Amino acid sequence: MQTALQFGPVLVHLDLLLRGLEKTIQLAALSILFGTLIGILGAVGRSFGPRFLSWLIACYVELIRNTPLLIQLYFVFFSLPLFGFKLSSNTAAIVALSIHLGAYATEILRAGIEAIPEGQIEAAKSLGLSRYRIIRHVVLVPAARAVYPSLSAQFILQIMGTSIVGAIAAEELTAVANNLVMQTFRSFEVYIVIALIYFVLVQAASLLFAGIGKLMFRWKV
Amino acid sequence: MRNFLKEAGALLAGLVLVLSLLPLSASAQSVDDIISRGKLVVAIDTTTPPYAFLDANLKPAGFDIEVANKMGEALGVPVEFVTVTSPGRIPALLTKQVDAVISIFSITPERAIQIDFSIPYAGQSAVVIAPKSMQIKGNADLVGKKVGLTRGTAPDALLTAAVAANPGIEILRFDDQPALMQAMISGQIDAMGGGDYGEIYLKRAQNGDAFEQKYVLKTFYFGIGVAKGNDNLRQWINTWLFTMKTDGTLDALSMKYRNQPLPALPVF
Repeated sequence: MQTALQFGPVLVHLDLLLRGLEKTIQLAALSILFGTLIGILGAVGRSFGPRFLSWLIACYVELIRNTPLLIQLYFVFFSLPLFGFKLSSNTAAIVALSIHLGAYATEILRAGIEAIPEGQIEAAKSLGLSRYRIIRHVVLVPAARAVYPSLSAQFILQIMGTSIVGAIAAEELTAVANNLVMQTFRSFEVYIVIALIYFVLVQAASLLFAGIGKLMFRWKV
Repeated sequence: MRNFLKEAGALLAGLVLVLSLLPLSASAQSVDDIISRGKLVVAIDTTTPPYAFLDANLKPAGFDIEVANKMGEALGVPVEFVTVTSPGRIPALLTKQVDAVISIFSITPERAIQIDFSIPYAGQSAVVIAPKSMQIKGNADLVGKKVGLTRGTAPDALLTAAVAANPGIEILRFDDQPALMQAMISGQIDAMGGGDYGEIYLKRAQNGDAFEQKYVLKTFYFGIGVAKGNDNLRQWINTWLFTMKTDGTLDALSMKYRNQPLPALPVF
């Protein structure tokens, strides 16, 4: 039995892994962007929208938060074509990941909005601020500031969540690694290498999110 | 001296223990040996449906199992099954633990250096499957199309090689057979590479009749493996397989388990 680790056959294919990493970053970045947009609209709609809209958003959040991401991916990729929406592997992955994050972001931001004291909104009203300015400046920004740590933790989960979209044939880092395992039969080495890549990626992302948080929420309370 | 005797005694006891733990080797060499011993020992792998699997009662069943049982019938002895993994098939013969290996054992020159093969009793092709409406006759027709396959399978290797010769084929690798089937059925891919019995599974889908096998990528032929140089047994197996082929038994088994006749089986 051969136990010695041999990274040679894996590192030869480093270019493939880096291309996979590029796809992973692309999937994560786009889905975080769209997911956050969905989350902002969802949270505002849920808190300030008409009753029916609020109920509809609650249904969306519950539906997504109570089903596995893998099933959501399968649904977007395999079932939507039956209704005439045929998306490529990549597009389907971004759509499913965005919808997935959107539900969590909605719930996280809503928690922040609920934490805003009623008096703060009433004070803004009595100052004569418009409804749009109240929602944006008096509610949304302080709410986002309060829940930003939870939100960025969710973003990190999102980056790692991209590792299962190989199931619908999107060639991200983990899918490329699985291809390499089948070619080289060096499973342990391949998984060590991609674990390191993920670690560096997530660390870098954590720093980035912390930096963004510092910039966006500079002022003192 | 007493110490030496003690040590030798301990060594002997250890040796006896080790020997008694070794599996009884089925060292029958000839057909006569098998008949006089009163059983035929066959290596199988029950993780290879539809060729060998465990049925609802956890008993081995499948194409290979029936072939083994028919071989025992022809010899007039019961069959004893030894379960091996795919890489364990050659060692089982080298260590003489089994008389024969009947387990989708593809005939290759590399393997024939260590063991001997009978003539093929079955064959399976890696094929390209696509909708009936699509005109596909060879790898060149796949250019510009999305072709799905399961990661790490024979069609993966064959179609990946085809991409080098025909740039423009887009390959989509799925993790398992159900996802691949679903991709084909939902139209996410234009064609798929799979086993020739893959159609059985597709046919169960709602629109499964819309698909057909287009062309064969490569055919693998399965032989019965025997120990190197055991010409006595190998010659009897070849003769018996000849009768099984000519009286239609093997084709009937293929229809039963693979839903289609066997490919033409050349002999050597």
